[in-house]
Amino acid sequence: MKTATEPNVNSELISSDLPAIKIKKRKKPRIGQYILTLILGLYTLFCLLPIILVFVIAFSDDESIASNGFSYFPQKLSLKGFQYVFNYGRQLFVSYGVTIFITVAGTALGLLIMSLFAYALSRKDFRLRKFLSIYLMIPMLFSGGQFASYMIFTTMYHMKDSIWLLILPLTVSTMNVIIMRTYIQTSVPNELIDSAHIDGAGEVRTFFQIVFPLMKPVLASVGFMMATAFWNDWQNALLYISSDNKVPLQLLLVRIQKNIEFLLNNKNISSSALVAMQGKIPEYSATMATVLVVIGPIMIAYPFFQKYFIKGLTVGSVKG
Amino acid sequence: MKDFLSNTWKHRVHFIMCIPAVLVLFFFSYMPMAGLVMAFKNFDYNLGIWKSPWVGFENFKFLLASGKTFWRMTFNTLEYYLIFTILGTIFNIALAIAIDQLIFKKIGKAFQSIMIVPVFISYAAVQFIVYAFCSNNGMVNNIISFFGGDPVRWYTSAEYWPYILTIVKMWNSIGYGSVLYMSVLAGIDQQLYEAAVIDGANKRQQILHVTLPSLIPMITIMLLLSVGGIMRSDTGLFYQVTRNSGILYSTTQVIDSYVLNAILTTPDYGFTAATTFYQSAVGLLLILIVNGIVRKAAPENSLF
Repeated sequence: MKTATEPNVNSELISSDLPAIKIKKRKKPRIGQYILTLILGLYTLFCLLPIILVFVIAFSDDESIASNGFSYFPQKLSLKGFQYVFNYGRQLFVSYGVTIFITVAGTALGLLIMSLFAYALSRKDFRLRKFLSIYLMIPMLFSGGQFASYMIFTTMYHMKDSIWLLILPLTVSTMNVIIMRTYIQTSVPNELIDSAHIDGAGEVRTFFQIVFPLMKPVLASVGFMMATAFWNDWQNALLYISSDNKVPLQLLLVRIQKNIEFLLNNKNISSSALVAMQGKIPEYSATMATVLVVIGPIMIAYPFFQKYFIKGLTVGSVKG
Repeated sequence: MKDFLSNTWKHRVHFIMCIPAVLVLFFFSYMPMAGLVMAFKNFDYNLGIWKSPWVGFENFKFLLASGKTFWRMTFNTLEYYLIFTILGTIFNIALAIAIDQLIFKKIGKAFQSIMIVPVFISYAAVQFIVYAFCSNNGMVNNIISFFGGDPVRWYTSAEYWPYILTIVKMWNSIGYGSVLYMSVLAGIDQQLYEAAVIDGANKRQQILHVTLPSLIPMITIMLLLSVGGIMRSDTGLFYQVTRNSGILYSTTQVIDSYVLNAILTTPDYGFTAATTFYQSAVGLLLILIVNGIVRKAAPENSLF
């Protein structure tokens, strides 16, 4: 972001010996720079290796894992894991659909209602905004917690096993509204909004035709964060969802783990029952193949959104 | 007042724009807050939350009487909060400064992109990765046996889990956490560095006297925001990554994972409600106190 161009911009203003210092520094990167690169490289590797392991195990042969343990260098490669994943395909297919619906609907809805709210809060002459800002801030400082939420949602709203419970509670977050409001205040010129008004555009039209398109960078960064939150949400699903046709991918992962646990811990199951279940015991490579299928889409989408949130994510001033 | 009403009427479209978000917050944030009154009630499923009879502080007596569970989860929650916040802040800043100082900008960008990736993997998936490392025939034990050591049964040895969870948490969050600090570093006026160089400051002195002071407002805000969640934890880390294993509870059970377990089994309503009330109240109290202190010391950095 701050690159070589900056000193040049100022060079006319500052005494002439400054660029000389810069050039001298750039000529020979000191040994420290190489050490720094090495350290950062090692840390990057530390971040990356666990993810690579998922790939390797998904393509490993189960028997070699069972006999030699988990390893980056499996003795035998195999596609059996994936075969298994696609064998219990129907549930996976349904879960994929559920997760995609939650992610798309939740992110779109959330971005829409949060940006409307943020826009209204950014209007300086809107008196009610002081009260609404406080109303927005309080949930960040104090919350009912998961038990009170659970009781309210299930006993009062009777929303147990409703897919909307996976969507609505996550649509509005204080932090995201603040990020959006700050963005509108700093990056959408007031003159533009005023001139739209003078040209006779109503508030709604001004918002959708002028402000909303200009918010693209912040919508991309917040939207990607929200999408991953929806995609990765296992807790609400575990608490509220019971019917199979509403199980999202993350809950499927949790259930797979529970099944393994159950089979491993239950020594009382008769041997004949075990044989009968043999086909159903998810093995390591199959489990990792499932993990790969679950985290895959985010890994693929990430590079496209990456540039936005390295630039666009600033908490901004929290104070209104 | 009349002024205010006419202003609101003038901005009625803005007000309408707020309504959807206000309603979502009301039903999914504010109602649960009101639901905390359950801590003072003897919950009866047939009567519902509002009509159940009041019992005063009865539920809290049970909470304190539970002794070991209560203190254990409080202690663990606070312990992990402190470890994660202190280490996390230090590493976030160190990483941000390191990437910022790197001359090879392209390599730095590439490294940073990879470091952020772990935060996008849910704990439900991370749990399987940790298992591949820590199970009896996992990577770690393979390496230990390779060097002739005795394999460790990680999933039954509670004493190692504070370290394992810390490593997992840092792996998960540092790359992403440093992005915020990076954006502050990018905004530092280059002339400050140039002036420091003219004054004869070396790299270390530049970092100490220019870089770090400019990060302080961001550090304060991030710490303030985290204080409100002091009694809350990353539930996935403690519920999923430990596989919710009872043997490990002594070092891994936090309030949030306890409550989640309570809901999923048959909740003792009064006890659980008292626990969550205590959790929320302590968080609120602390953020008010700390914000008060910050407002005295450095008003521009306070939250409100």
